[in-house]
Amino acid sequence: MKEKHIQHLYRRIGFGILPSTLQKVAAKNKKQIVNDVIKASKTCSVLEVDISEIKEIFGGMLMTDTKIDNETRRKLQKISRKKQIELNVSWIDRLVNTPELLREKMTLFWANHFVCKDNNIVYIQNFNNTLRTHALGNFKDFVNAISKEAAMTKYLNTKQNKKQKPNENFARELMELFTLGEGHYTENDIKESARAFTGYSHNLKGEFVFKKRQHDYTDKTFFGNTGNFTGEDIIDIILKERQCAKYICTKVYRYFVNDQVDEGHLNAMTDVFYKDYNIENLMQFVLMSDWFYDDKNIGSKIKSPIEFLVGLKQTVPVTFKNKKQVIQLQRLLGQTLLDPPNVAGWKGGRNWIDSNTIVLRLKLPSLLLNNAYISNVKAGKQDALMTQKKEQFKKKYGKRFNTQTNWNHFEKHFKNVALQDMDSHILAQPVTKDAKSYLQSLAKLSKHEYCIQLMSLPEYQMC
Amino acid sequence: MDRRKFLKQSSLASSLFFVPSFVRAFEEVASSKLGYKRLVIIQLSGGNDGLNTVVPFRNDLYYKARPDLGLSQNEIIKLNDEVGLNINLTPLKRLYDKGYVSIINNVGYPNPIRSHFRSMDIWQTASDSNQYSQSGWIGRYLDNYGKQAHSAIEIDDSLSLAMKGERMNAIATKDAKTMYNLSKGPYLKNINKHLADEHLSEHNLGYLYKSMIAAESSAKYIYETTRTVVSKKEYPNTKFGKQMKTTAQFINSHLETKVFYTSLDGFDTHVKQKGAQKRLLHTYAESVEAFVEDLKANNTFKDTLILTFSEFGRRVNQNASIGTDHGTANNVFVIGENLKTQGLYNNMPNLGDLDDNGDLKFEIDFRTIYATVLDKWLQVDDAKVLNKTYSQLNFI
Repeated sequence: MKEKHIQHLYRRIGFGILPSTLQKVAAKNKKQIVNDVIKASKTCSVLEVDISEIKEIFGGMLMTDTKIDNETRRKLQKISRKKQIELNVSWIDRLVNTPELLREKMTLFWANHFVCKDNNIVYIQNFNNTLRTHALGNFKDFVNAISKEAAMTKYLNTKQNKKQKPNENFARELMELFTLGEGHYTENDIKESARAFTGYSHNLKGEFVFKKRQHDYTDKTFFGNTGNFTGEDIIDIILKERQCAKYICTKVYRYFVNDQVDEGHLNAMTDVFYKDYNIENLMQFVLMSDWFYDDKNIGSKIKSPIEFLVGLKQTVPVTFKNKKQVIQLQRLLGQTLLDPPNVAGWKGGRNWIDSNTIVLRLKLPSLLLNNAYISNVKAGKQDALMTQKKEQFKKKYGKRFNTQTNWNHFEKHFKNVALQDMDSHILAQPVTKDAKSYLQSLAKLSKHEYCIQLMSLPEYQMC
Repeated sequence: MDRRKFLKQSSLASSLFFVPSFVRAFEEVASSKLGYKRLVIIQLSGGNDGLNTVVPFRNDLYYKARPDLGLSQNEIIKLNDEVGLNINLTPLKRLYDKGYVSIINNVGYPNPIRSHFRSMDIWQTASDSNQYSQSGWIGRYLDNYGKQAHSAIEIDDSLSLAMKGERMNAIATKDAKTMYNLSKGPYLKNINKHLADEHLSEHNLGYLYKSMIAAESSAKYIYETTRTVVSKKEYPNTKFGKQMKTTAQFINSHLETKVFYTSLDGFDTHVKQKGAQKRLLHTYAESVEAFVEDLKANNTFKDTLILTFSEFGRRVNQNASIGTDHGTANNVFVIGENLKTQGLYNNMPNLGDLDDNGDLKFEIDFRTIYATVLDKWLQVDDAKVLNKTYSQLNFI
């Protein structure tokens, strides 16, 4: 398989590929590589932080309790806030180091599809691992599992959805955002299906509880069918619509292939997905298709803040002394994991970029990895003051981001790359003509300094 | 826009910095004569308790619902025989007496949501309570009427959803100098200089280059325009006080910005409310008074409208922790020089007619306030921004 295509594949199903890894797989053909990628994600490693503190509190209570006193609630919230930061940081670390690459990238994708947030770390963590477990599984099982997650029954008020007083929030978003898209159902479909989800609730531990007394057992009429439907029946009926497969495939296409959807490719994907709603088969089809590797798709997408951060860490490992700064950085870049703006999620694409985020993105590689230093010494000259300048900058900016970098890792994995070949490993697009002529006018001091120069280009924002 | 036109415009903009000062002074006179209307939004985050802000001190139901929390006569400052302001709002009362304040009571929206995130979301996007929007109302104002990103500025590190549009986002900055320093640097400047047409074409990379140039020029413009104007006014030494001071500095340097966004956090007073709210209202009122005086001294107050809101009010009944839980309708303050309706815009909420939760039933939809401000103050088509037509109010 062509190097350029392997790199494209890895930028989309992960966060890029190191030259040393590329060297190892380059001899294989497309089928072997795609099969390996899928095989590596057959397993699923859950992501967990230590929540024994909370389990202890739960242990002292009856599981049938639904109310907790105010003091306990506040204590839970305090621990949860602390643990949510931990979970966020471990998630980022996981993305950098995982062998289950496709599964993790899909988990990230689904986290912006089945959008949810909560203030209880137990429910947050359960929800997150449900995304991970089903990321490459069967979509019907996935939707059902999501509908029964404690965090979701709280977030979209299914918990308050009772026979006497239905709450339509979940039913509406199930169709509008999770399965069909706007305009493919009626207000009456929402009303009727909301009644089918009555009784969905959870216990303190976050396990699903079906409250029979709150469930509406009378007939509902939904999409032309009448019967005593349950929530699961409703999901069955929705998935019979080809529109559901098409809606999901559109989102997959935008995320993994191109912001601009090609109707022909979308139709082919929908045919595959509609057959059995098997997500792994759909991804295999996309990654095996020739069009996935078309030139117009390569380097055409703007990295999300998380793709940007994780990719950066993959090339040059960097750790933050203060974990809260990892969160702060995500906030400044406009995407904080576990904290989406609302159930519609992040808009993505060009919407990631505004005056603040573009400036920050261009400066971050140098700020985090190189004491804010980007060399601009002319070709043929030595950067005599570099060390001093870096020391100076470190004093000035070090207070803002106290980081530790591992450039040895970079040197090791880029050992066999010639300086002039760095571009193709760092960037998804060839350097534009004029940026190139500027780069050529500068001294190439080392791979390390050149890497920072490349990462400081707008081209580095593409994947 | 093609590159030549773009450069022409941006170089034109930057050459303005070198125009002799007397010419610029003349321009300022001209623009202030034309009346460059500005909107300042203050968000009280966490859900301010409206009933202990604007207090119905003759209402028995109020004291019955709040045996410990109800404010006594010496904890308020009277507006009339029935209504008083929390005494910590004394600076605001001084503005009120000058006719600069309009208090709109009982503002909310149908089917209220009592979650902070969600309700704030609704206020910021101006959506119905069962709709989710990915753009904010000021963001959509920018989409349709903003000339540059700095047409709207949030005085903070990052942008609220309110300030994000479908195509355009506002700028967030607490400090023009830091932003300017971040945006420049010899390396990026040179990349910028080496640009050719292809970068400005319509694909994603071109979009990045365009954003980079626009950001640099906005950061430079904001910094260069505002750095010589230093406010002499004393503000409370709090985060919010600083935000208001920066806003005044930006306005008084005649920055071409139509909307400023600031926020004061901490109003989620479930426990021992009195002390916490006292501190916050005090900070709010002192900062706003300083701000108004600062603008007046610079003759910019007459073209500035200040809108203060919170995502919801609080439950009428106090809770067991001498605090209040999340509620629904709330008061909104409009502050400006030439208000049509000064003082209390409408009646106090009816405490005898509550919803099933024991919360107020709203009377005025907050989007009618937005529509009024958009149409009458910013003079744009409100329906285009709010995606719907709302009836309008009569306060400006």
